[in-house]
Amino acid sequence: MPEAPVIIDVQDVSKLFRVGKVEAVALQDANLQIHDGQFVSLIGPSGCGKTTLMRLVADLIEPTSGRITVAGKSPKEARAAREYGYVFQAPALYDWRNVLANVMLPLEIMGWPKGERRARAEEMLRLVGLEGFHRSYPWQLSGGMQQRVSIARALAFDPKLLLMDEPFGALDEITREVMNFELLRLWRQTGKTVVFVTHSIAEAVFLSSHIVVMTARPGRIREIIEVDLPYPRDHETRESERFFELTTRVREALRLGKEGEGAVGGAASVGGKGAGGPAKTLAKVGY
Amino acid sequence: MAREAADGARAPAWRRALSGWVPLAVVLAVLVALMYPVALLLGLPLARTRMDNVANWVRATTTPKPLSAAPADVGAGAPAGAQLRFGGAENLTTARSVLVYGDRPVDATYDLLDGAAHLRDAVAGPLLEWGGALTGPLDARSPGDADTPADVATGAGVSEGVAGHVFALPAGRWEALYLGGRLLVPGADDAIERPDGVLATFTFPEAETGPVLVNGQLLLEGEGFEGDGRRIELRSPAPFNASVRRVSGDYAVLDAAAGTIALAEASAEAPRVATATLAVVERLVGEVDGVNRVFHLQHAPLVESDAGRRIMLEDVELSPAAERPAERVDGERKAFTFTSDRGVVTVNGAEALEGRDFGRAGPVVTFTVAPPRNAALRQYPDYVVNDPATGVITLAKPPAAGSRVWAATYTYYDHPACGSSEIECFLSMPQHPMPFPHWIAKRIPAFLTNYPLSDARNVVRATLYTAGGTLTALAFGGLLGVLLAIVFVGIRPLERALLPWVIASQTVPIIALVPVLLLLLGNAGVTVQTSLVPAALIGAYIAFFPVTVGTVTGLRSVDPLSLDLMKSYASSPLQVFWKVRFPAAVPYLFVSLKLGAAAALVGALVAETESNNRLGLGYAIVGQVQAGNVSDVWILLLISAALGIGLVALVGLLQRFTAPWERR
Ligand SMILES: Nc1ncnc2c1ncn2[C@@H]1O[C@H](COP(=O)(O)OP(=O)(O)OP(=O)(O)O)[C@@H](O)[C@H]1O
Ligand SMILES: [Mg+2]
Repeated sequence: MPEAPVIIDVQDVSKLFRVGKVEAVALQDANLQIHDGQFVSLIGPSGCGKTTLMRLVADLIEPTSGRITVAGKSPKEARAAREYGYVFQAPALYDWRNVLANVMLPLEIMGWPKGERRARAEEMLRLVGLEGFHRSYPWQLSGGMQQRVSIARALAFDPKLLLMDEPFGALDEITREVMNFELLRLWRQTGKTVVFVTHSIAEAVFLSSHIVVMTARPGRIREIIEVDLPYPRDHETRESERFFELTTRVREALRLGKEGEGAVGGAASVGGKGAGGPAKTLAKVGY
Repeated sequence: MAREAADGARAPAWRRALSGWVPLAVVLAVLVALMYPVALLLGLPLARTRMDNVANWVRATTTPKPLSAAPADVGAGAPAGAQLRFGGAENLTTARSVLVYGDRPVDATYDLLDGAAHLRDAVAGPLLEWGGALTGPLDARSPGDADTPADVATGAGVSEGVAGHVFALPAGRWEALYLGGRLLVPGADDAIERPDGVLATFTFPEAETGPVLVNGQLLLEGEGFEGDGRRIELRSPAPFNASVRRVSGDYAVLDAAAGTIALAEASAEAPRVATATLAVVERLVGEVDGVNRVFHLQHAPLVESDAGRRIMLEDVELSPAAERPAERVDGERKAFTFTSDRGVVTVNGAEALEGRDFGRAGPVVTFTVAPPRNAALRQYPDYVVNDPATGVITLAKPPAAGSRVWAATYTYYDHPACGSSEIECFLSMPQHPMPFPHWIAKRIPAFLTNYPLSDARNVVRATLYTAGGTLTALAFGGLLGVLLAIVFVGIRPLERALLPWVIASQTVPIIALVPVLLLLLGNAGVTVQTSLVPAALIGAYIAFFPVTVGTVTGLRSVDPLSLDLMKSYASSPLQVFWKVRFPAAVPYLFVSLKLGAAAALVGALVAETESNNRLGLGYAIVGQVQAGNVSDVWILLLISAALGIGLVALVGLLQRFTAPWERR
């Protein structure tokens, strides 16, 4: 199996926020390679820099130090080339556009022909289960429905890379499961690369090919865990022994990160130190 | 959509519509109800001053009360025990009256009760002296005259002459009028309302049936006016400031200069003049003991400059004259020369006493202490009116004990013209500081149709004109406001350079700005009196500001995440503006446009007022204020308010169509 090319390469990236005189280290010395076609989950306590890392990749903010490459380009060029679709932590829908028009927005901006826009938007809304709500305005939807519109919007223009920041946080358990299956199916079908932020260990294990465990204050990458559960994954996967082992491992990693921050300093280099071992570890995971 | 349906199911449409309007209606009703006490609070003090000011009172003149019926033999006397009736003497009593013939008191005792005198002593003749007959009727029209309707002529009138109301008096002095031997008592009431040139409905203090006199012109019921109790409705409005009277007695003087009278009832026979008659007159009240000099008249307050006042001592008329000294009162001089060698002397209105304050040598009066410089020094040879308000007079010499001091005629203020109570005076005020709402409401239809729609002065037209000016102003102001806002948000340095000036522009009072603008426009060849340009410019000038501020706020109100999203799409700045910033600013824009609409209306009204633009509402308001038509000013206020509300509602309607996403 040929090794897939690195699509996101984060090298020694730190991000400092300066609010007045106070400096906050949101991310410190982060190293991470994500290969084409991987499904990578970021998991870690609140405020550990998950969103910051995603925003750095998306070129919404610039790193204080270090280098990021996205699809072989600088993040700025990648953004200009519309390489990624971003689902924000909050829905960020436009009040003055109804559901359909919200999903069509990126297509309008990217100059899709009129007829195609509509068909594509309707298809995406069907995918997230909102067929009946084309003409509704965002304030008429529940929080979960709004988030689904936001997912549909990110998928609409078919980006190679999907950055999803807690997309299912606002959903009920059942819908969440359905959405998990849908996302997994979509990922398998299209071969997109997905970077996925979640607070649910089970969700991370169920969906991902790799899990990046992060620690807070300062935000560091502690460990990268390969999820070697076989595909296709279904309800039985969740009951398998390996599933429990993996969730336990992730939980351990999170707990240790919480206990001794200084002690696990070395863990930040697990996914890093050039394109050596860890990169290979990542690449080993095929599908 | 599913939600909307659920909302709709909550209550029937009419209930929801009602629940929206009911609070508004309640507030309106409370406001309208509050206007009543406020109107009274503001109006009653004015009514009281009106009532207290004697200048606004109806004057009455007392005259001798002649015999009610002319005796058949005027030369014969009346025996003791005879009963004589006197017309109009009902309020006189024995002690307060004097029996006179001509200007001479009659030496006979009598008892007077209810206008009838019971003679205790015989009275020598004559009791009456006839003068000539009046000429007329002057307004007689023959029954055959088809052009003008005939008077109600009796059957006898046709053969003997035609009946009429107007007669001319013969030359010379006269004391009483008799018609067929019966005394004619004069009497007329003034209308309570003051004729303003438009008013045709008038009210009188009492319900009457006589003809109406307008400026010396006789109007008959059914011809010149319709009567209904106390109110009359003239066929044509009374001229401005005309005297509107109604005959309440047997006759009234129609035209004093021409010497004509108007009878209450038409007569073919002419009345006759009596040059002297036995009469009862008012006696002055006070001790006649040879010492007392102070008396008072039975009616007060007196009209001060009353040329017709005649006070009599026995058969001698007392002079009302007031003499000034020949010398100047310089503060040092003590001796002053008057015309007469007798009289009451006053210094600054206070009486100086002979012997104590001054000594007299004929017409020369010498004070013991020099009167102060420029003091008013007067000598009244016969009597002085001490106090017109109470009707007290002081005679120069005390009348001899038992002599009779009486008043032949004098004029006094009888009662307030506006009515007998404060409320009546309030109701009859020609203008109220704040009219009752229902009075305003009643005037609305007339006000709206005062002029035909083709006339530029028609209020509906004026309203539409001003609405046009305001909308033009709002369009320009809104456009300017939005453009400025876009520039400010797009180019920060420009905002720093311009914003202070924009704020400063709003601190210039438009009242001061408009004349300058009008001069500029006038020089540029615009006829400001008929042009919409001043209203549009000034309206735009004050409307753009809230639009700028609101739109800037709106453009900056965009959620940062929305901008991040646009950034992630690598969208162009133009796309960001049209797809995010502008739509996000729309709700703010509409709120500020509503504010702008109200501001533009103010600007348009001020501009119209100051440019004397007769086509607009602003000029009408000022015109009515100057004319003092309070009700009309209120109506115009209501119209302006309705216009303002209408314009704001129009903006709201526009919002509904252009921004349907907003939650309601
Ligand atoms: N714009 C900013 N200015 C200042 N500090 C910031 C900014 N954005 C993030 N931070 C800080 O950086 C740290 C990391 O924030 P980040 O949003 O990446 O956390 P997170 O891992 O996404 O947390 P959560 O799971 O709660 O979303 C936080 O401590 C936060 O306070
Ligand atoms: Mg986050």
